[in-house]
Amino acid sequence: MLNTAVPSTPTHPPRSRERVLVAMSGGVDSSVAAALLVAQGYDVVGATMKLFCHDTDLPDRPCCSLDSVNDARRVCEQLGIPHYVLNMESAFSRDVVRNFAEEYARGRTPIPCVRCNTFTKFRDLVERADGIDARWVATGHYARVVNGELFRGSDPAKDQSYFLWGLPRSVLDRLLLPVGDGTKQQTRAAAHAVGLEVIAEKTESQDICFVPDGDHTRIIARELGADTPALARGPIVTLDGSVVGEHEGYARYTIGQRRGLPGGFSAPMFVVAIRPAERTVVVGPRDALLGRGLLAREVNWLVDPLPVGSHVQVRVRHRQEPVGAELIHSEGDEVELALQLPIPAITPGQSLVMYDGDRVLGGGLIERASGVRMALPLAVAS
Amino acid sequence: MGGCPDPYSRPEPLIFRTMSEPIYMDHSATTPVLPEVFEAMQPFFGPRFGNPSSMHRWGREARVALDEARERVARCLGARQDEVCFTSGGTEGDNLAVLGCWHAARTEGRMGLVTTPIEHKAVLAAVHHAAHEGADERILEVTPDGVVSHDSATKLIDDTVALVSVMWVNNEIGVIQPVPELARLAHEHGALFHTDAVQAFGKVDVDAASVPFDMLTISGHKIGAPKGIGAMFIRRGTPLEPLLHGGSQDRGRRPGTENVAFAVGLARAAELAVEHRVAEWTRLEALRDRLQGLILDRVPDAVVHGLGAPRAPHVLSLSVPGVESESLLMALDLAGVACSGGSACQSGSTLPSHVLVALGVRPDLTRGAVRMSLGALTTDECVDRVGEIFPRLVNRARGVAAA
Repeated sequence: MLNTAVPSTPTHPPRSRERVLVAMSGGVDSSVAAALLVAQGYDVVGATMKLFCHDTDLPDRPCCSLDSVNDARRVCEQLGIPHYVLNMESAFSRDVVRNFAEEYARGRTPIPCVRCNTFTKFRDLVERADGIDARWVATGHYARVVNGELFRGSDPAKDQSYFLWGLPRSVLDRLLLPVGDGTKQQTRAAAHAVGLEVIAEKTESQDICFVPDGDHTRIIARELGADTPALARGPIVTLDGSVVGEHEGYARYTIGQRRGLPGGFSAPMFVVAIRPAERTVVVGPRDALLGRGLLAREVNWLVDPLPVGSHVQVRVRHRQEPVGAELIHSEGDEVELALQLPIPAITPGQSLVMYDGDRVLGGGLIERASGVRMALPLAVAS
Repeated sequence: MGGCPDPYSRPEPLIFRTMSEPIYMDHSATTPVLPEVFEAMQPFFGPRFGNPSSMHRWGREARVALDEARERVARCLGARQDEVCFTSGGTEGDNLAVLGCWHAARTEGRMGLVTTPIEHKAVLAAVHHAAHEGADERILEVTPDGVVSHDSATKLIDDTVALVSVMWVNNEIGVIQPVPELARLAHEHGALFHTDAVQAFGKVDVDAASVPFDMLTISGHKIGAPKGIGAMFIRRGTPLEPLLHGGSQDRGRRPGTENVAFAVGLARAAELAVEHRVAEWTRLEALRDRLQGLILDRVPDAVVHGLGAPRAPHVLSLSVPGVESESLLMALDLAGVACSGGSACQSGSTLPSHVLVALGVRPDLTRGAVRMSLGALTTDECVDRVGEIFPRLVNRARGVAAA
């Protein structure tokens, strides 16, 4: 498939008084999104989703704490729009946090933000929008919606389209992403320009919001019990099966990881596979990480599903330079792609996102790499 | 002028521009300060700023105002002036009653603290705290309409009980408890009796001379006084340990420089509440019943909580099957109707209302509870409009849910 022409900066004509529900984290992106929509003449309603409750308050978190709710409320007051706190703790816990732990237990490396977008933001939030007769929903994501299709954000450094492949296609007809046309600098400048000094220079959250200290094993232990096999001791083996060390839980590892591995090899060693059934972490040299194809499941198309033989560009992780690929199999919610160039560390549980230039075609959850040099043992393992 | 934003230059919220006057249906959360109350307080933010403990003219003036305020509140409660203690509000009053009484009684060997599962959290949390300190916490049963079960009371109240605390009018559903009967029962066993009358005062006849409660809590901002002031009735001779330690203000029961202005405001608000009590009951009851009728006519399967029990006239709590209150409250607010789900103190909590759970309300209905509370700002027109808006939003929410 050829790249479609990238549309010029999409401008949403001011739909006078049409109501839009904006998901507001209290951060600069969603605050400016709300401010822009107010300026465009929408009837804007702000909402902050309360997704989880920390056992103890963590004061310095930039995101998702009660402070964020308060910041969002202040911004809305300043903009003269109503603000609500939506309690989504139980759904978030079920759809995102639980799944996060279970994916690690399956030896995979999940991206909870993808599931949060798919379920929490673009299913549950849309439902709330229906409840208040809001024609539109909006977020502060750096991506663009044009004519019912999703595109990468204009700022390549900030583009968040990778995390948005799972949203229901029907949502694209009512989704507004007001900051996706600009850069982060422009967003901050806009925040100053409209007087949102409170949040204009807030730091960005980099971690997973419910894992604020970066230690995901705490969440796994809490969800699955401290005695879960995912956090139990197991062998580290090389590709030929020889045991070279021991680990404290395979959930501490991800494909491509070097940290926490034994040394003493002639070449640097990386995690190349995780086999939960045997609690084994498999290590190998750098070129054992290279995959020439991959299989993905739970595929969601944001365009009419492409036929086998189509050419696309794919990303298997955020910020990765897209690589050309051919769709060699597509059935139900499963696709398989052959890559034109090998990609290192194709990781089960991460997202495959398919692009046509800047246009997001769809995505899925990576089931496994294929065409890896050590393909056979991996395939057996999975 | 610098870059400091002028707080008064903020745009008027859009929501208020796009519709007719919004309707405040949340008087159980708080009430506007009455003009008479505001006026009564004003001199104390100006020339009459003295500390009532000072010996000079400013102090004397403040002291006289405070004493008069105390006397006036006492009169409103059928009490003597030394039986009234000013507090910061309902939570402090409830804590002082429960913990102050428990700390005094535990040395006597009375370990039992009896309360209901539908109390305000200020009582429940204080009782839990006492339980951590060794008290024997006993929770009375309530009927599905929210009235304390007589059998449960006779079973749980015995000679080892230090205090029985039962709220007079429930803040979420408006149900009135048989306070005189329960107070007598407590006394038969030598126990003290406290009632949280925060929602009752100004609605039911609160008279310490005829009802044998030992302690009673009221709060200013539920009756047209400001937030941050309340009062406790403490019957003469009631043993009570203070919560705060400091100076000798209020006989040491409540040290700290008294909030003279707010005490004066509370006194004025209390007098107005008593003066208009009967007429306001009649007015609010008619409005509440009409609102209830309008809603039930158009949403016949709505469940009114506490319907079978005596209710104070200002609270209407109902659940609509299949409708989540969070979305409904948003839609109501956007349509200009301000009310709450359960109590304002619990907002943001995922847990269903402990009051409705205690009543045995079905889980799907506890998630859909909406409390509308009427008061000074409620007019016929408000009721007509809410009676039209509420069913419309419910039906629309159901249409969406079914689609």
